[in-house]
Amino acid sequence: MRVPLSWLKDFVDIQTTAEELAKKLNLTGLETNLSKFGVYTEGLITVEIKDIQKHPQREKLNICKVYDGNNTYQVITADQSVKVGDKVILAKVGAKLPSKEINLVEFAGVKSEGMLVSLEDLGLEEKSDTLFLLDEDTPLGVDGGKLIGLGEDILEIEITPNRGDCLSVLGVAREVSAIFNFKRKDIVPALNLPEGDFRIEVLTDDCYRYCGVVIKGIKIKQSPLDVRLKLIKAGLSPINNIVDITNYLLLQEGQPLHAFDLDRIEGKLVVRKAQEGEKIITLDGVERVLSTDDIVIADEVKVLALAGVIGGDNSKITEETQNILLEVAVFDPISVRKTSKRLAVSTDSSYRFERGVDIERLVVVRDKAVDMTLSLAGGKVEGFKDIYRKPYKPVRITLSLQKVEKVLGEKLDPKECENILNSLDIPTTLRNGLLESVVPAHRYLDISRDIDLVEEIARVKGYDSFEPSYPKVPTQSFTPQIEFDFFKKTRDYFLSNGFTEVVNYTFTSEEFYQKLNLPVPPIKIENYILKSQSVMRDTVFAGLLETLRENVRFGKKDISVFEISSTFFDSYEEIRVGVLSSGKLIDGYGYTDKETKFSTTKEWDILTFKGVVENYLRSFGLSNFRIIPSDKSYLHPYLSFNIEVDGKTVGYVGKIHPKVADQFEIPYNCYISELNLKYVPRLLDESALKEGYLYTYYINKFTPVYREIPKYPPVKRDIAFVVGVDVREGEFEEALKTASEYIYKVKLFDVYRLSEDKKSLAYSVEFISPHRSLSDEEVNSIVDEILYKLKLKYSDLTLRS
Amino acid sequence: MDIKAQLLQVKTDFESDLENTENLQLLNEIRVKYLGKKGVITSVLKSLGSLSVEERKEVGLIANQIKDFIEESLKVKEEKLKAKELEEKLKREYLDVTLPHSWHSIGYSHPVIATLNEITSIFVSMGFSVESGPEVESEDYNFTMLNIPPHHPARDMQDTFYLNNGMVLRTHTSPVQIRTMLKKKPPIAMVAPGRVYRKDLDPTHSPMFHQIEGLVVDRDVTFRDLKGVLKIFLETIFGKDIPIRFRPSYFPFTEPSAEVDIGCTVCKGVGCKVCKETGWLEILGCGMVDPEVFKAVNIDPQEYSGFAFGLGIERIAMLRYQITDIRLLFNNDMRFLSQFEGIG
Ligand SMILES: [Zn+2]
Repeated sequence: MRVPLSWLKDFVDIQTTAEELAKKLNLTGLETNLSKFGVYTEGLITVEIKDIQKHPQREKLNICKVYDGNNTYQVITADQSVKVGDKVILAKVGAKLPSKEINLVEFAGVKSEGMLVSLEDLGLEEKSDTLFLLDEDTPLGVDGGKLIGLGEDILEIEITPNRGDCLSVLGVAREVSAIFNFKRKDIVPALNLPEGDFRIEVLTDDCYRYCGVVIKGIKIKQSPLDVRLKLIKAGLSPINNIVDITNYLLLQEGQPLHAFDLDRIEGKLVVRKAQEGEKIITLDGVERVLSTDDIVIADEVKVLALAGVIGGDNSKITEETQNILLEVAVFDPISVRKTSKRLAVSTDSSYRFERGVDIERLVVVRDKAVDMTLSLAGGKVEGFKDIYRKPYKPVRITLSLQKVEKVLGEKLDPKECENILNSLDIPTTLRNGLLESVVPAHRYLDISRDIDLVEEIARVKGYDSFEPSYPKVPTQSFTPQIEFDFFKKTRDYFLSNGFTEVVNYTFTSEEFYQKLNLPVPPIKIENYILKSQSVMRDTVFAGLLETLRENVRFGKKDISVFEISSTFFDSYEEIRVGVLSSGKLIDGYGYTDKETKFSTTKEWDILTFKGVVENYLRSFGLSNFRIIPSDKSYLHPYLSFNIEVDGKTVGYVGKIHPKVADQFEIPYNCYISELNLKYVPRLLDESALKEGYLYTYYINKFTPVYREIPKYPPVKRDIAFVVGVDVREGEFEEALKTASEYIYKVKLFDVYRLSEDKKSLAYSVEFISPHRSLSDEEVNSIVDEILYKLKLKYSDLTLRS
Repeated sequence: MDIKAQLLQVKTDFESDLENTENLQLLNEIRVKYLGKKGVITSVLKSLGSLSVEERKEVGLIANQIKDFIEESLKVKEEKLKAKELEEKLKREYLDVTLPHSWHSIGYSHPVIATLNEITSIFVSMGFSVESGPEVESEDYNFTMLNIPPHHPARDMQDTFYLNNGMVLRTHTSPVQIRTMLKKKPPIAMVAPGRVYRKDLDPTHSPMFHQIEGLVVDRDVTFRDLKGVLKIFLETIFGKDIPIRFRPSYFPFTEPSAEVDIGCTVCKGVGCKVCKETGWLEILGCGMVDPEVFKAVNIDPQEYSGFAFGLGIERIAMLRYQITDIRLLFNNDMRFLSQFEGIG
């Protein structure tokens, strides 16, 4: 909200600088920035247009003779609406306007001694159609910059949703007065309006109070300079005197008003709920279809306005309007908000009603409105009707000073508390050590409990006046931070293995899934910003591919990245780690020097990548996993696998499918893995510890127990088994390891394809007995036994001689 | 030639042979030539039988001296040659160690996650627990139980993404407060780091970003305690001398509420573009837990009090690393990420 300092001064006697004012407001709850109303410049004077001639060559230019009371100037203007007698501002040669400095110029041979200015020329408006017209009684030859207040301070205040009472010059004045202890002032006209004999009916409780005043015989014209300038300074455009009055009082008092053209109202005025499907064309020219939630102002035939939100086109003030009905009313905040949200129309009026309007001040505003109308537009008051269905019943609050101390941690002076509350127009008396307050109507939405008063006291006193203290450490509630440690450990593992951490958006596109022939995940954003970011992903893979693709675009094909993030399912989420490597593990160089020759380059391959993942699992003791075929269509069918622990899949590893590499324009030598880290239920009572998630295994991981180191040295034998080519080494090795209790260690050292259907698997096997050194004969018989056992499973197994 | 002269000749020959020996293999040949079973010395000594006892004694002595001399010389020479050969072997193994290493390259931390973890760790070391919750939240937990009823203008403070399942993407980490208070009894001291979402997209706002939420609930927790804990935290992150100020603000779930500013880290309070010439940077929101929130989670506001705070991580990371466009944080461009070597 923009509050011109000059307007504020109408309501509070400000005895300090604008800077100090802004600073203190900031520290007491109104976030305030200072700005200026344009820039003051010398060389602006008020003039009257005495003569207008068309430019001989340029049809679109007028040659004006203007008079400042002493001198006459010849000035050229492009404004076609200028009339003799208009009073305007002349920027003389040398005046510095925001867009340019005024020089003596010639337009096709005719000289111009300055420029007649519009608001746009002064930098006060985006686009002006005409010159800025002064009032008829403006004296000539006075400083135009001073007259319109160029360079005046404007307070730009961000009002939080709880402070509807500050959405007005008056409200800010009340704050300033409370904070600085400055004197308040306000001129309330003493009117004694008669009751009118027109009919208004209020048929809904959502209209708390409705007051209508009929004024006849008014004349629509431009508002006086002072009114127009205040509106402009506050950021509104003047329209005509009647509309300006409603806007002026809205800004000044925080009370929205509306003016109807009385002659458009057919029969009595009714405030009621709209009928389903009822229509109205609003002031902005849009036809709105209403629902029974909306409050409308209607006559006996049609809807005239959306109550509290926006007026209707059919009853708006026009140049021809002579008789008006002024509405000063208060509507239910929630009802106004619902209508405003549903129809997507937010106005200065709806904004204030949503945040609460001072229902008790309504009469004062009404009288100010009538007073202003009579003086700006003339006319005669026919009378008013005030239907106050829901009279304000103030809440009374008792606040103890112990409570103040309990919250703020400091004993405060009761008298000081009392004074602060009273200065905010919250009538408070100190009785028996208790503060008894009555909540005023301008704060009824914000203040209802003692804690709310504590805040008022604390903020006016200033938060910086409270010295920091330190809570006792609740050691009895200590719990080890296993989850934090787990994620930290995971992150550190991949970082120290050369993987860079990435963060992708968790939303992706339907297109991504369609491209891969995968089902689109269930959770979607209804009000997305971009369609390409509208689906909550169910895989981290989506983002990692995007990461690779982006980097490839910039010429970086070799990347190793990981991301720990969420994936989304119908009733739960999964935190996963996604890992991606592409191209080279080491982008090295060749080296040759006599017989020394090597290359440091190493391409990623599936086994190296598998090692990264496997070592991660082993880093917290998880070694009893199984490698089973993968079901992922986007992976290479033979260079991919799932990892299973206790019969539950915890993730997959694989090379990307060449088709996917083509589709996404990424290198084919790309490996990807996704592991389920943690189950995140949405229901409070569901446990996050579920099988198939590494965090669950991490939490339950076993503590290794020391086993005695063998006393006798092992006997080593190299054994080469001949098996069918389809035999999976991992399974064979597992069978070998468990084939004899004497086997201490098994290490594969060679895989050799012997023929179309046979291969040899050569192991270095260590045998050991806890009780003695094994003899050659003993080892021979152990090998025989192993062979016998393995043959039960691998019937065509032989030894390679 | 008499034997004595022969022996002296042997010595001379040996010296010359030794002189010309350049490797251990030749040295061994010389050893065999002079000291072997069929060597020169041995054959000279064999011929001693033809001499008188006196002569035998004298020549024997000389012969032994020469033998000792040869042995000693061979030993010295051997050591010399060994040292030389070792030196040559080492020389052959020379490699320019300024060549690039052949281990994999370093992995870079993401500046946001690094900052988030650092902040979480600070609170963990103060005794706070780390709590978490889902990112798809009910409006109840995200708004209503935090004293933001439906149709309240405070809902406008956060532009919300609504989902097809009637839920929302959480707009802040505050629902984790609710979840924690529903599960645990006070005393509670927790932080909740995580991703949050708002419908916002410009150089300083991302639709997805990170926050950390803090909550302390116990008997007699005061506003001054809130100031103390945040002071420790801010001084840890931004340094001991960082100016801090508390401004009254509004959050529906706290009362009183405050925003905390730190002195601008860029201009040191003088005023610059980053702080919009104010000298201050808004860094976090906080306040005393509103009694309505306690009521929603069945904690008696008469018995307990508490404070809560929340801060955006991207903003802190951007300030710290002087990053000007938030979108850089989510592009995962290696040319960007690799600039942050050595952070947490
Ligand atoms: Zn600055």
